[in-house]
Amino acid sequence: MARVLALAPDVTELVFALGAGAAVPAVPRSADFPPEVARLPRFDEQDPEAILARRPDLVVATTAGTDPRLVERLRELGVEVATIDVTTFERLGEACRLLGALLGRPESGEALASGLARRVRAATERAAARPTQRALYVVWWEPLIVAAPGTFHHDLLRLAGLANLAPEGAGRYPRTSTELLLDPRLEVVVAPDEPPLRAMFQSLLGRAEGARLARGAVEVIWLPADPASRPGPRLVDALEALVEARGGGR
Amino acid sequence: MRRAADPLLALALVGAALASLLTGSVALTPLEVGTALVGGGEDTARVVVLSLRLPRLGLALLVGASLALAGAALQSLLANPLADPFLLGISGGGAAAATLAVVALPAVLLGLVPLAGMGGAALATGLVWWLARGPLGASSTRLILAGVAVNAAASAVILLVLAFASGSRLPGALAVTMGSLAGASAARAWWLLPYTLGAAAVLLHHGRDLGLLGTGEESAAGLGVDVPAVRRRVFLAAAALCGGAVAFAGVIGFVGLVTPHLCRLVWGQAPRRLLVRSAVLGAALTAAGDTLARRLVPGAELPVGVITALLGVPFFVALLRRSA
Repeated sequence: MARVLALAPDVTELVFALGAGAAVPAVPRSADFPPEVARLPRFDEQDPEAILARRPDLVVATTAGTDPRLVERLRELGVEVATIDVTTFERLGEACRLLGALLGRPESGEALASGLARRVRAATERAAARPTQRALYVVWWEPLIVAAPGTFHHDLLRLAGLANLAPEGAGRYPRTSTELLLDPRLEVVVAPDEPPLRAMFQSLLGRAEGARLARGAVEVIWLPADPASRPGPRLVDALEALVEARGGGR
Repeated sequence: MRRAADPLLALALVGAALASLLTGSVALTPLEVGTALVGGGEDTARVVVLSLRLPRLGLALLVGASLALAGAALQSLLANPLADPFLLGISGGGAAAATLAVVALPAVLLGLVPLAGMGGAALATGLVWWLARGPLGASSTRLILAGVAVNAAASAVILLVLAFASGSRLPGALAVTMGSLAGASAARAWWLLPYTLGAAAVLLHHGRDLGLLGTGEESAAGLGVDVPAVRRRVFLAAAALCGGAVAFAGVIGFVGLVTPHLCRLVWGQAPRRLLVRSAVLGAALTAAGDTLARRLVPGAELPVGVITALLGVPFFVALLRRSA
């Protein structure tokens, strides 16, 4: 595979983790990992002209982040596009194998997938030592947006021994009432550690909806935002961090 | 002013078209663009010009012409300077159906979004017409009130759909509500062309009747105009034009409302003079607006409707002040 263009930072990470970084002529504007991407030129991942100008042999898009109209457009123009759909840790392994095969590196794909699966198993076993608690993964505090089943965040909670309290049937990331934070069953809230989320959380603590959070009835776990918000290979880092934060140790 | 205005209008159209073909994120010289247009040059340039820029320009011209022509015809028909496809709920109906389709259809069926948009516009048109029926047929006032009601319902549907849109579908859904020509392809432009020409022909055919209607319904009827039939055909043709535009480019505001007024300030009230010129100016404005939308902020595409409004309003105000 001569030239590979990834349309999202998580897929960029995956291509590099498979050892195919040399095939990447440019990276999307938001890509910042691994450090090697810093020296690569940037391209606008929404713009078909900018993509074509890089003459890719393969474009890797994601179901969650890429506008499907762009994928359709590129295919019409004769560009080979692979779409990665990481909604669970199991799918992350499948994505490693698929991309490995497409990049002509099936062994790297297999090695990466099985290495990640081993780490996931180990983390899950550590988590299983603790009783299951009821939790929410908060993507945004105001309005309250949480991760529902069908998302990798839901899978992150599940594998870390947390039962998701998010409403079902209202989409993958439903916007829901802050009253949910007062649910007496709620024991843990997991959130990505980002300045705007911290600020919103602080203001919430002073209000009625934040009462259980303020008096410590709910444990709040802040995960490093970068790997926790990206369904790439470092998602396993986020899982390990979550298990460790729950007292599972390493 | 009128004599000089026609060549200026043609110049504006050519200028807008050239600017659209010459600008993009891939730096191409005019010579490279010209070579690509006749099928020569290197591969990337050819694909960029023939498969991306040219279809996008074609679609911008068709959509702009459709909106302005529909606006001009509706303003004359309803004798209301505020009438345009948006006020009458037609764009809203098309946008609501297209937004729903973008969010709800499986990825392999997303090619059907324009069809959904046209269906929604047709449904809204039928609904407005049905709601506006009175003892004396569909009067102008009733049509506008019915349009406002349908538009409000369509807005509610759009907001509801947006509230449930998933991350990857949201840009597409927003593109419908704010107007975007990013989905342009040669197939879509070719598909829209005969449809637009057919509906435009109906409006142009009734240009004289619309002029007579402007003198009052009774005098128009006295001069041999079949008022109910003209009203129905013009309304349906304008709705069809607008439905096509919304289906392929989403909601591009301002063009349908203000372009006819700009033309009126220069060429006067007569619909016969007004319709074709409105279409040409609408096409030029939309193509220019789209070029700016693509290039104004590097790395981000702005909603084309915002640009067409920002571009046209100052002209409109200046002409209005001058004519006052």
